[in-house]
Amino acid sequence: MEFHKPRTWPEALAIKAEHPDATPIAGGTDVMVELNFDVHRPDVLIDLTEIAELREWFTVDGRYRVGSGVPYARIIDELGATLPGLAMASRTVGSPQIRNRGTVGGNLGAASPAGDAHPPLLAAGAEIEVASVRGTRLIPADEFYTGVKRNAMEPDELIAAFHISPADGPQQFAKIGTRNAMVIAVCSFGLALHPSTRTVGTGVGSAAPTPRRAADAEAFIAGELDWDSPLPLRDSVKRRFGELVAQSASPIDDVRGTAGYRQHALSVMARRTLGWAWDEYRRNR
Amino acid sequence: MTSTAEPEVGRARLRKEDARLITGRTRWTDNMVLPGMLHMALLRSPMAHARITKIDTTAAREMPGVIAVVTGQDLAEEQGSLPCAWPITEDMKAPDAPAMAVEQVNFAGEAVAAVIARSKAEADDALESIDIDYDELPVVLDMAAAIADGADLVHENLGTNRCATWVYDSAEAGSGGAIDDAIAGAEVVVERTYRQQRLIPAFMEPRSMLVDPTGDQITMWSATQIPHILRWMTAAVTGVPESKIRVIAPDVGGGFGGKLQVTPEEIITFLMAKRLGKPVKYTESRSESLASAHHGRDQIQKLTLAADRDGTLRGLKVELLADMGAYLRLVSPGVPILGAFMFNAIYKMDAYKFVCTNVFTNKTPTDAYRGAGRPEATFGIERMMDELAAELSMDPMELRRKNWITHDEFPFTTVAGLTYDSGDYESATDKAMETFGYDALRAEQQERRDRNDAIQLGIGISTYTEMCGLAPSRVLGALRYAAGGWEHAAIRMLPTGKVELVTGTSPHGQGHETAWSQIVADQLGVPFEDVEVLHGDTQSSVRGMDSYGSRSLAVGGTAIVLAAQRVLAKARKVAAHMMECAEDDVDFTPGTFSVKGTDRGVALADVVVHAHVAHDLPDGVEATLDSDATFDPENFSFPHGTHLCAAEVDTETGRVRLRSYVCVDDVGKAVNPMIVEGQVHGGIAQGVAQALFEEAVHDESGTLTTGTLADYLVPSAADLPSFDTSRTETPATTNPLGVKGVGEAGTIASTPAVVNAIVDALRHRGVNDVEMPCTPMRVWSAIQAGGAR
Repeated sequence: MEFHKPRTWPEALAIKAEHPDATPIAGGTDVMVELNFDVHRPDVLIDLTEIAELREWFTVDGRYRVGSGVPYARIIDELGATLPGLAMASRTVGSPQIRNRGTVGGNLGAASPAGDAHPPLLAAGAEIEVASVRGTRLIPADEFYTGVKRNAMEPDELIAAFHISPADGPQQFAKIGTRNAMVIAVCSFGLALHPSTRTVGTGVGSAAPTPRRAADAEAFIAGELDWDSPLPLRDSVKRRFGELVAQSASPIDDVRGTAGYRQHALSVMARRTLGWAWDEYRRNR
Repeated sequence: MTSTAEPEVGRARLRKEDARLITGRTRWTDNMVLPGMLHMALLRSPMAHARITKIDTTAAREMPGVIAVVTGQDLAEEQGSLPCAWPITEDMKAPDAPAMAVEQVNFAGEAVAAVIARSKAEADDALESIDIDYDELPVVLDMAAAIADGADLVHENLGTNRCATWVYDSAEAGSGGAIDDAIAGAEVVVERTYRQQRLIPAFMEPRSMLVDPTGDQITMWSATQIPHILRWMTAAVTGVPESKIRVIAPDVGGGFGGKLQVTPEEIITFLMAKRLGKPVKYTESRSESLASAHHGRDQIQKLTLAADRDGTLRGLKVELLADMGAYLRLVSPGVPILGAFMFNAIYKMDAYKFVCTNVFTNKTPTDAYRGAGRPEATFGIERMMDELAAELSMDPMELRRKNWITHDEFPFTTVAGLTYDSGDYESATDKAMETFGYDALRAEQQERRDRNDAIQLGIGISTYTEMCGLAPSRVLGALRYAAGGWEHAAIRMLPTGKVELVTGTSPHGQGHETAWSQIVADQLGVPFEDVEVLHGDTQSSVRGMDSYGSRSLAVGGTAIVLAAQRVLAKARKVAAHMMECAEDDVDFTPGTFSVKGTDRGVALADVVVHAHVAHDLPDGVEATLDSDATFDPENFSFPHGTHLCAAEVDTETGRVRLRSYVCVDDVGKAVNPMIVEGQVHGGIAQGVAQALFEEAVHDESGTLTTGTLADYLVPSAADLPSFDTSRTETPATTNPLGVKGVGEAGTIASTPAVVNAIVDALRHRGVNDVEMPCTPMRVWSAIQAGGAR
């Protein structure tokens, strides 16, 4: 196995261009598990941990640019107030040790439908910045996930960062699993209210081949919410929203849960998170 | 002259062994490195049932660093058969149990070849070059199917998958009436079938062993609970004289019964070191541990409980299927039998019958796991008491009160033939109910039901007892167990004033060093700090029956008291001689001998020196005060307690949240209340885990699909409420310390408390059972099914 440890981003991109099959590694919380269990034997590993800029975040034109190597623990500590949905999801990732090492970049790279970061990124309308020696491009989160553990990146590209707006309204994240800590979600749901655009963002996890938005549910609820004189939401509206979220999913039966249970649980989580977020919006006006 | 020091027994002392255990700067087996040490890796079968048609090790032998590659065929002559010490019936079927599979593999994870190399990495790498062909056989997984006519067989030569059927019938034993009469005459009969899922002990330190054949003796360090039994059985299996084997259990990181075993790995490592003449070490990976170290539980329980309309119990019939897995390990067949005396629990009834059939399947062998037989029994009866209460529309605690043995009825001989020496179920229950706020929670439950709240509240009760202090040797003999149940202690009074206590118990996290020091300090009047506890090395601890079954304190602790009494008896003779008085005139207060009615005295420390130098000893007294003793209990001990759990069940997602957990345990006299509390906390966590999280799952090919700790869900602190633990102290009458044992109590009590709470929360929705582990999906599915009923 070839092992590269580039010191700079251009050097990393050059290596990736030369070895398109290379597996990048940052926190190693996914890649090392696969190596240890011999699921995967990459010919080339690119260790990105020496590249300082991947561990930085800053704002550009009012949006955050968060380096792909920023670990979950720092997202919780440093960005929790302004990215509440992502921070809530980050708190449910693994254990303290995993949160110290694991990164959103790793979640994006693996593109597992169960990745905890995906629903809040979808709900917030984040964009993924990918780069290669050919240049840099931004991919909207809802175009990033293309299949089970597949994403829209070209073989020579690496994930540089994600771009995400600070929350303009309440955000929620819910996840169901057998255990609280250290558990892979049976299914998960992220929700973001966007008062500035009078829209609602959603993200569904572990209930389809890819993380995905519930577009019908978003359209439905946008038409139901009165942002200027917000009244409590009728149960029937919340239920309909839940149903539409559930319908957006195409889950399978597997060891962690049946498709029927996943769809049902999604509808409950969607209904509840909408209620919580809307109540928060009403309180804070 | 008199000591006014606070007694040591009863003090919540910090554990003296913790600093080294917590920092890991200690003698874990895998920490040890010997000159010239080689490393072993094992190739394990991916097949659950197959004939080995070809093994080619040529390529592996040529890999870098490889010293030897062996297969079962290579070891066939010398590996013998792993021991099963508990042939529960005369006609029990026991398959040959080779440490390494020779012609056939019978469970996925069974060792089929070993590589010994200069480094662990080289050994691991070489495994991949071993070429094996398997011829697949039909896989036997389901117990009921396994004993049906025409079933595929795990062991063709046994002609059946039925290992043994063991029966206890109160009518035959004379401890009660006939069960059929009781059931026929009862006004209410409740029948249920429960599944005790397969569990994995999941101790923290993986199994690890290092065998050094240098010199005339072969030394084996092993992360085991049972160094003494391991030495005996290694001799029996390999034919090497026991006197040429030394076994050392250094610090051991947990066991939960999972290291109460003579493992294939130990025998293979032993044979390889002997063959190569070099030290060989083997440490398993976590996945190897989960797949191949013995599993626990795995029973189907069919229960029939008969009662009168007023709640008076008439009789209980228990019909079990118990999964042995592919082989019988050390005590596999006896584990369900340990439950035979416990299904009747704390209750009085006329008749009782227990029938257990042990079954072979193509799965990892099962054996002792924390509680071993008693958690299964307690779960069964405590779930049934709730079901009967529901059937009678009676408060489940009232039903229990009506039937339990009252405190003035002890000693009480139960319908299962055991005599409980002591107990006070009323006091423990009253205390627990008050702390728990039972009535207020019942009111809230009703209120949530009335408003059809999405979150329903359930109250779970478990009023358990268990049998500890394994075990009276005569009882073990009657149950056809191959060994005795005594324990040994030796006290060495060193001339410098320090005391060495050598115990036959083998701690692996329990805190024996601290608790035993407290006992010795009180008995002899020496400082706690001056006592050194030696254990786990068959060369220093020459006799012992090791640690399991909550036996160490009740049996091993008593041996310490007896040994200390012998030290003092001898010291009294020497002191009388030193003070020139009659022995009868000598008084002992801890630490000091004196002549009655005078101010003449001599310190124990001076008596120790006097006896050690032996310049002037009375006639007939041997040098040194060193003494030892063996204790064989007359009876088991019977801890008991009341555990109460309040669970919130989200009826929309099926998710269970434990809101509060109150327990009052009666473990007799607590030597160290802090250690007791720690044991109760850990025990509850493990029992809750059976109720909510853990299950060893095999797919249809017999492959373990929960082979990592990401899939086999042990509990974390984030999943548990704060436990409110307290105690009543009803001393055991069967040992001088009044102790009963606490290692398994929490695990035994908590599983039914949690499941009872979940079912109680959903009873009004037509739910009367949720299969364990009660995952959100299972709970939700039960609600769906209940609603449709």
